[in-house]
Amino acid sequence: MSNKSDDGIMDEDDPIGSAETHWSQVVQRHYEPDGHGDLTTAIVYAIAAAEGVSPSEIKSPPLYECLDVPAIENAFFGSGVSEGSRQGTGTVEFHYTDYLVQIRSDGWIQVYEPSEPEQV
Amino acid sequence: MIDEPDADEEVPSDASAPPNRQLLSPDILDIEPVYEALGHSRRRYLCYTLFEDTEWSLTDLATKVAAWENDVPDHAVTEDQREDVYVSLYHAHVPKLVDEGVITYDETTGKITAAEHAEQVLTALEGIGASLDANQESHARSDMDEQ
Repeated sequence: MSNKSDDGIMDEDDPIGSAETHWSQVVQRHYEPDGHGDLTTAIVYAIAAAEGVSPSEIKSPPLYECLDVPAIENAFFGSGVSEGSRQGTGTVEFHYTDYLVQIRSDGWIQVYEPSEPEQV
Repeated sequence: MIDEPDADEEVPSDASAPPNRQLLSPDILDIEPVYEALGHSRRRYLCYTLFEDTEWSLTDLATKVAAWENDVPDHAVTEDQREDVYVSLYHAHVPKLVDEGVITYDETTGKITAAEHAEQVLTALEGIGASLDANQESHARSDMDEQ
């Protein structure tokens, strides 16, 4: 899968804490805090792309019931967060239906799906 | 029954206090739903639409918010602009206002109606609007004076 990261240092490791399930990344999308659209929208668009549907078809559950998006927005991209403290990368991950979604403090939103176990 | 508990809390009239201000009750410090509801421009817009009698669908509201944010008439809103706002309303702002008891959202019809805290929020919004209008009027007046 092609890697569209600007800096080319994206790693493709499985997310932490999912030892039993193998996850493979299906979509990644970059969130621009100062750009067009909010973080909620960016996350839903990423999930919709993974699902292959239009974003308004992603309905259940509302993201509001899954995680506190304003808190993440504030912690990762808030005005009090200096450029320097963004050098380290923080990650928040949550499950949305069958997907695992990671939000990174560098703005990358990555959607993983459980990968099929290899048939032997 | 016992006496009304706030009977003795009546503010004694004080000639030096500005009028109006003394009528405010400290209860306004407790109205969390008002601050939560009005803390984002898209939620303020949603609340503002409750002033009208019309029952809006979420799609209509997304169109109106997008038109307002992009400063274009409703019919000029693109599908992308509408979808953007729709997703943000559906996944963030509508459930937040439902949580605060300001609106109810009917999942099957997609209609939004006022709930028990709507009145408080609308009153606050009216107050903000009134003071904004007053500012703008005095601005306008001083502009006139300068000319």
